[in-house]
Amino acid sequence: MGEGSSKTAQNTRADTIQAGNTLLLRLPSGDIKTWKLEKDSAANLGKFGSFHANELVGQQFGLTYEIADKKLKVVSSRTLQEVEDTEATNELINDGQFVQPLTAEEIETLKKSGVHASEIIKKQIAQHANYGLKTEYSKEKYKKRKEAKFSKSFTVIDPTVFNVCDYWFNKDQNRVRDVRPDALGQMLNIANITHGGRYLAVDDASGIVVAGILERLGGKGRLITICDVDSPPAYPAMVHMNFTREVTQVLSSLNWATVDEEYTPIVPPSEPPSKAKSDAQKTRLNKRKAVNDTLNRTREELFAGEFDGLVVASEYDPSSILEKLSPYLAGSANIVVHSPYVQIVTDLQNQLRDLPQYLGPAVTEMWLRRYQVLPGRTHPLMNMSGSGGFILHTIKMYNTWLQFGVHTHSRLGPDTTTRRLSP
Amino acid sequence: MWSTARDIAAGDLVITRELVQPLVITPGKELNSKYGVYRHSDLIGVPYGSKIGSRNGKGFIHVLRPTPELWTLALPHRTQILYLADIAFVSSWLNIKPGSRVIEAGTGSGSFTHSVARTIGTSGHLWSYEFHEARASKAREEFSRHGMDDIVTLTHRNVCKDGFTVVDTVDAVFLDLPMPWEAVEHAKNALRKDRVTRICCFSPCMEQVLRTVTALNDAGFSDITMYETLLRPHQVDSVPALPPISQIGEKLKKSEQKREEKRLRQIANSRAAAGKRKRSDDADEDDGDRAEGSLGKRLKTDDEDDVTQHEDEQSPRTGNQQSGRPVADAAETKGALPENPPRKITISKTFPEVRGHTSYLTFACLLPTLPVAQTPASGTEGAVNNPATSSEMVRDIQTIAVH
Repeated sequence: MGEGSSKTAQNTRADTIQAGNTLLLRLPSGDIKTWKLEKDSAANLGKFGSFHANELVGQQFGLTYEIADKKLKVVSSRTLQEVEDTEATNELINDGQFVQPLTAEEIETLKKSGVHASEIIKKQIAQHANYGLKTEYSKEKYKKRKEAKFSKSFTVIDPTVFNVCDYWFNKDQNRVRDVRPDALGQMLNIANITHGGRYLAVDDASGIVVAGILERLGGKGRLITICDVDSPPAYPAMVHMNFTREVTQVLSSLNWATVDEEYTPIVPPSEPPSKAKSDAQKTRLNKRKAVNDTLNRTREELFAGEFDGLVVASEYDPSSILEKLSPYLAGSANIVVHSPYVQIVTDLQNQLRDLPQYLGPAVTEMWLRRYQVLPGRTHPLMNMSGSGGFILHTIKMYNTWLQFGVHTHSRLGPDTTTRRLSP
Repeated sequence: MWSTARDIAAGDLVITRELVQPLVITPGKELNSKYGVYRHSDLIGVPYGSKIGSRNGKGFIHVLRPTPELWTLALPHRTQILYLADIAFVSSWLNIKPGSRVIEAGTGSGSFTHSVARTIGTSGHLWSYEFHEARASKAREEFSRHGMDDIVTLTHRNVCKDGFTVVDTVDAVFLDLPMPWEAVEHAKNALRKDRVTRICCFSPCMEQVLRTVTALNDAGFSDITMYETLLRPHQVDSVPALPPISQIGEKLKKSEQKREEKRLRQIANSRAAAGKRKRSDDADEDDGDRAEGSLGKRLKTDDEDDVTQHEDEQSPRTGNQQSGRPVADAAETKGALPENPPRKITISKTFPEVRGHTSYLTFACLLPTLPVAQTPASGTEGAVNNPATSSEMVRDIQTIAVH
């Protein structure tokens, strides 16, 4: 049948880990470390060990390694263990009792002598005064806690948009403006981001939204972002995606000055002054010219309009953003505005519902609950993320009224019935 | 998939905000609804995103470009369907993107199918399986009409019994089946083994989740986790700023004062009346009687007027001020009253009734077991072992690799 089998999936990054990649390493403690893989360098994970960076080159993303003698060994995936129910309770276990004769120094000595983590844990268990009294669940927890302390291993997190967003959200949700992975997924779907489409985005959320859109474009289509700085914006969350050049080349950026049609950007001259110049100067001027040309082309492209959608996760007033950018959207384009604050999007909704060029503005809130899944111990996690923000979605309409198949656009008069359409 | 042209053409699927049913533009056909009468041919050449008045002037419609999200709202329900929150979350966790190869079972009403087809595009592929024959043929026709033939292959098959039609091929599997655990081994066969792949099982009941988790674990899947996600729609309103209690306090004080005045007046009146009776018993001073009596009556009327006026106080007294612009002195004289016009505030709350549960989303990863063929670095002197050969001892330590 041959469907899909003739071609390999397009990849937004190399199939395997490459030198120059910025990797997310999950340590036994649960912490995640950002690490740039430089060729021929050494990686140091502190108490979790160190290894030679080149060993990871060419490896698959997503695997777990154990470090022994600075060498890496792939660890097979962990499976869940059935825990037997016993009669044990904590009735006879009291806090503050001396239960572990093995001292920290002795453990340190063992570690130095190269004893495997599992051996140390076995020793600790053997010497533990009350281990036998613990419930099986408690024993499991104890072992896990010790593993997190002693095992020398790490996992290279597969840098999917979900995982990268999750990492950033957990690291500092303010920097991604509360764009939680579920919120991002919804934004990309509601905005109808499609391979080959043309989109506008305003991302003051460290570039996580830009990363999501670029991945969904897969190197085909167009993304123009508008930022608040006069140099190309830093989208630090994008770094972890390790995108190939083909993926990022569809991205161009303007700022809030250069999106002003009335404004003529002040750029350094790229035409050489009268006399002939040195090669170095020519190169510099050529570079300058290229930058200026790109800026002009991007502006023309924006002003020509007819974009398929607009995604906003910004610290600025969303109604001012929409006022500026929605003229460049095609009819039926999706507009998605995310904010950590309900007031921002409800105020926006309130303004938009009186304007005929915005159809059915609606506000939704994200809710997400994760569960601990262990045999016999399945329950929602005790702590959950309080908010993934709020989303306003609306559809851009042409501000014209067509009647009786007369295909000339006529200005829409004051229209009191538009409000009735709001859900 | 659907048209990406700016203007509507014959044969296009068009969604309208007003009508539940989507339209397939067919010249010669007419749409006759409570939103007016429209000739399909009138819509041809009109840009998507236009508002169109009806031929009989009785209404208008907004013509929209279909998206999987709009389609989900409009689609004919053959089964319980998946909604935006779950679809978006599953797509995101499963890392579905352009070029992805995906399996879906069962097809159901095709809500997930449309969303995935949009995201993977023509460079990806979706194998969709449906065990109910009539539903399968309906869905096949629909996908064909929507131009999804090159993206979606639909097979009528019971995947729990007969497995999937591809081996070592797909990046992700989505199981929306009553007994997903019966398809887990088949799913493992269909997933490619040269990179991390993912599975999601969609089940409304916790009992299903537990059996699925056991099956996934037994089949060697890792990073098993489970989520629940919901979308809470907010109802937004614009209302006058809430009155402060001081305003109510003032109102109550005034009414108390009036009541007291009234009481005192009534006492005075009854005393006066009693005096009059006495005097009329005496049968003299006729004129004075009449004057006082009428005064008493007038007082009472005044009192009634005051009460009505008092009740009106909250709204500006428009009667004598209609000609001028709304006067601010109403607010000034009453102190606590809001300015005129009253300041509006935006409020929002979750809809009174919302979806409280859709399904549990159980996810897991399958780690690669095949070495990567084309990479130069693998097989060089590095000590990296194939996972299959990793030692018992390593397995023993159980590295913390939970997602």
